[in-house]
Amino acid sequence: MIPDRLDIAWIMLIGLALATILVPPLVARPLLANGLLLIFAALKGRHIVLDFLDLRSAPALWRGLVSAWVLIVVLFAWLASAIVALI
Amino acid sequence: MSATDCEQQGTGWGILEDLPGDPMIWVLIFSELAAFGLFLGAFVVARALHPAVFAAGQATLDAQLAGINTILLVTSGWAAARATAAARADERGRARGWLFGAMALGGVFIAVKLFEYAGEIALGNGLETSPFFTLYFLLTGFHLLHVGLGIVILAVVSRGARAAGVETGTAFWHMVDLLWIVMFPIIYLVHP
Repeated sequence: MIPDRLDIAWIMLIGLALATILVPPLVARPLLANGLLLIFAALKGRHIVLDFLDLRSAPALWRGLVSAWVLIVVLFAWLASAIVALI
Repeated sequence: MSATDCEQQGTGWGILEDLPGDPMIWVLIFSELAAFGLFLGAFVVARALHPAVFAAGQATLDAQLAGINTILLVTSGWAAARATAAARADERGRARGWLFGAMALGGVFIAVKLFEYAGEIALGNGLETSPFFTLYFLLTGFHLLHVGLGIVILAVVSRGARAAGVETGTAFWHMVDLLWIVMFPIIYLVHP
């Protein structure tokens, strides 16, 4: 059976979830670790939005709105941790 | 205006009609994303103001269990997406089977989360232990309620397993998945 778009999205999500769990023990620098964790979250969100929610074929407005929600939340979390680390 | 006129002009939802499923579920989804977004923002600000308190609280959490729950929920989301594809192909039996799979995995997610709560409570951590645990229990508890509600919605749409219903139910389920994907690193893993 050849994996289709949904299967590939699921494999990517599992891979990103495993990579997320491995970041804390493998990456000691907090800012870098936080950055990787939140980039992985954004990538997982992208697969869910485009492939599972099927907004790939929806108007750009809706695709952009839901994708922007993911980006704003993870970026805010990273910026807050960066500010705390720099103060 | 006659019924024919209404049909010619769509259902009256405007650009929301371009989204998969019933437009009303998208009103709910956008409302939930806004509410959880603000809630997560409050968590991030509180952590920035009390980094030591949040670091101590986070250190007692079981990130491995939360990681297992991530795998359970994304796999459940995959099953739900498969159900939508089957329902669109009018394969209702297969759609129902995938929906049952998604619901079962959601049920395991709830069981794992309750096990995690039991561990935290056994350590003496509760809603009033610290600002971290107040927000931890409220955020994850509110999300857990949505997982339960999502299972109920999937059970309802699995009866007929028609494309429109399955699209509507799984859209809500994917939102629950999306919320967890963002919550997991922010609460359990990001260094304060």
